Amino acid sequence: MEALVPGLTAIGKGLAYGLAAIGPGVGIGIVGGKALEAMARQPEMAGRVQTTMFIAIAFTEALALLGFVLTFLL
Amino acid sequence: MNPMDLLPEKIEHLVHELSVLPFNDMEGTVAGAAVLTNYTFWGIVALVTTILIFTVVARREARRIALAAETGSAAELAPRSRFTSMIEAGVEFIRDMAIDVIGPKDGPKYTAFLGTFFFMILVSNFYGLIPGGKTFAGSIGGTVALALISLLVFVWVGFAKNGFIGYFKSLIPSGVREMSLAGRLALGTYIFVLEFISTFIVRPLTLAVRLFANMYAGHIILGVFAAFTALFWPVLEEGLSWSIGSITVGAVSLVFLVLMYAFEVFVAFIQAYVFTILTAVYIQSSVHASEH
Repeated sequence: MEALVPGLTAIGKGLAYGLAAIGPGVGIGIVGGKALEAMARQPEMAGRVQTTMFIAIAFTEALALLGFVLTFLL
Repeated sequence: MNPMDLLPEKIEHLVHELSVLPFNDMEGTVAGAAVLTNYTFWGIVALVTTILIFTVVARREARRIALAAETGSAAELAPRSRFTSMIEAGVEFIRDMAIDVIGPKDGPKYTAFLGTFFFMILVSNFYGLIPGGKTFAGSIGGTVALALISLLVFVWVGFAKNGFIGYFKSLIPSGVREMSLAGRLALGTYIFVLEFISTFIVRPLTLAVRLFANMYAGHIILGVFAAFTALFWPVLEEGLSWSIGSITVGAVSLVFLVLMYAFEVFVAFIQAYVFTILTAVYIQSSVHASEH
């Protein structure tokens, strides 16, 4: 049983970050795609759309980062 | 010898290189001791560089403005060198961002503060991209320090604009404040606890971790590709067996190393920008707290 611990920990670490990255990955894709759509429709708003996009991406990304930290804590 | 046998050793060396170590003794550890670490050293180097650049540019600008006032010609106001022009464009970029996010009235007041964050992180990140150099954003201690400064400033602005009680009151949305007493007690307490955690813990934590994780992961990726190149490119390591296949792997990882390096230059900029704009957003939420 003891011999399994390092291997299982490694698998757990990989899973923790891998699973944590799925949601934010989809989320950032949606944010970026929608921002691109908005900029294509209204190029004169590109500056403000970009600013808001970066803020939205930063909030979405935070979830993936929590998984990244968890990987080190495990 | 098979190159793959040496890989774990290389990765271990890479992680060791990227950890916080005493500056004069790269082998030791820094458990709780107050010593000059490699990250602190490069942080100080970045700080001194930033101060030097801005002192020189500010002096030049002041001299030019004085000259323009003396001669009365607006043409004297144009920057003379490319470097001064570049720094001026950077400062204008931060000012426009502050006005855009915080508002035309309060925005310009925070340009200096946000600019300090932006250029400090940017210069440090560029130092981190020089082989042998480090970015202080690559250690969690450095980014936590930055995030705590950000936290102090936006909480201070919130207190100054709304008063001590007013700022905490503003954590509860105005819709809840107009409800009946029972509603205010139940929903208000719940939202207050939620908002308190999100403002005072999650905000600085994500600021710190985002910057750290991006820089650290970026350097690990660069290091892994560099290790692959060194192991599979037959000229670089003595005593390794090699074949056409290993040379292909080495060549591919060399190409990826260059591409990832270019990407890291972009990440260095974007992370400095994201840190700055989020600080601006938090300051904005403190300035206009009573309207939420």
